Amino acid sequence: MSQPVHAVVMHRFDVPAERVFDACLDPAWVGRWMFGPNVRDERIVRLALEARVGGRFSFVVNRAGTEVDHVGEYLEIERPGLLVFTWATRDALPETSRVIIEITPREQGCDMKLTHVLGAHWSEFVDRAASSWSQMLDALERAIAQEATAQRG
Amino acid sequence: MESLAAIADPTRRRIVELLAERDRTAGELVREFDVTASAISQHLKVLREAGLISTRAEGQTRIQALNPAGFDELDAWLHRTREFWSRRLDALERELRAEDERVAKSAKRKS
Repeated sequence: MSQPVHAVVMHRFDVPAERVFDACLDPAWVGRWMFGPNVRDERIVRLALEARVGGRFSFVVNRAGTEVDHVGEYLEIERPGLLVFTWATRDALPETSRVIIEITPREQGCDMKLTHVLGAHWSEFVDRAASSWSQMLDALERAIAQEATAQRG
Repeated sequence: MESLAAIADPTRRRIVELLAERDRTAGELVREFDVTASAISQHLKVLREAGLISTRAEGQTRIQALNPAGFDELDAWLHRTREFWSRRLDALERELRAEDERVAKSAKRKS
């Protein structure tokens, strides 16, 4: 258990790795698959990203009158095989979690392995600020629970 | 998510790993680390309060063991997170297909 908790999702696509990779870093595409009415009941307010290592993104959506800003920083960008970024909602502390997208080309299409690692920086937070730490977890928990509820509904 | 907070600490994660191998006494755990017995005792307390481990008495000895039910919360997080991304990757696949169809149609129209 080198990482505290990680969730892994595998997905096979029948289009080239480059197209899948580019869809992750193009705001217009992010608005088609990551956020917006195609995915759940929400309105896109603003999708902005700076596709370079050290660049940041901010994906703002409006859910039933409440704006939620998903923010993060790109840590690794190696087209078309690897994309790593931090992931949090702005209300929470930054870098609450980390997403690793690995794309392997196949003869026809590609395979994606997405790993969401919770708590890459936890130990520091816990010792330093136990209270803000638990707020951060609550926020993350709420955000994910909302997703799950919306998906079931 | 108390259980997640509890295993955020590397020492506590290591304790969980050791107890996953087999049940141990606090003394056995102390020997695995370069910290004081009271520090380990504190870590065990946090893990116990988070429901990740349980303590039972065998004669004069107190045995530390993992509490499988305590990991349900972690399972739930994993499940939700996988669902979150699965749904989005399905949407991505649909959108890529839709674009292919649009491109194919417009190519047909031109020819």
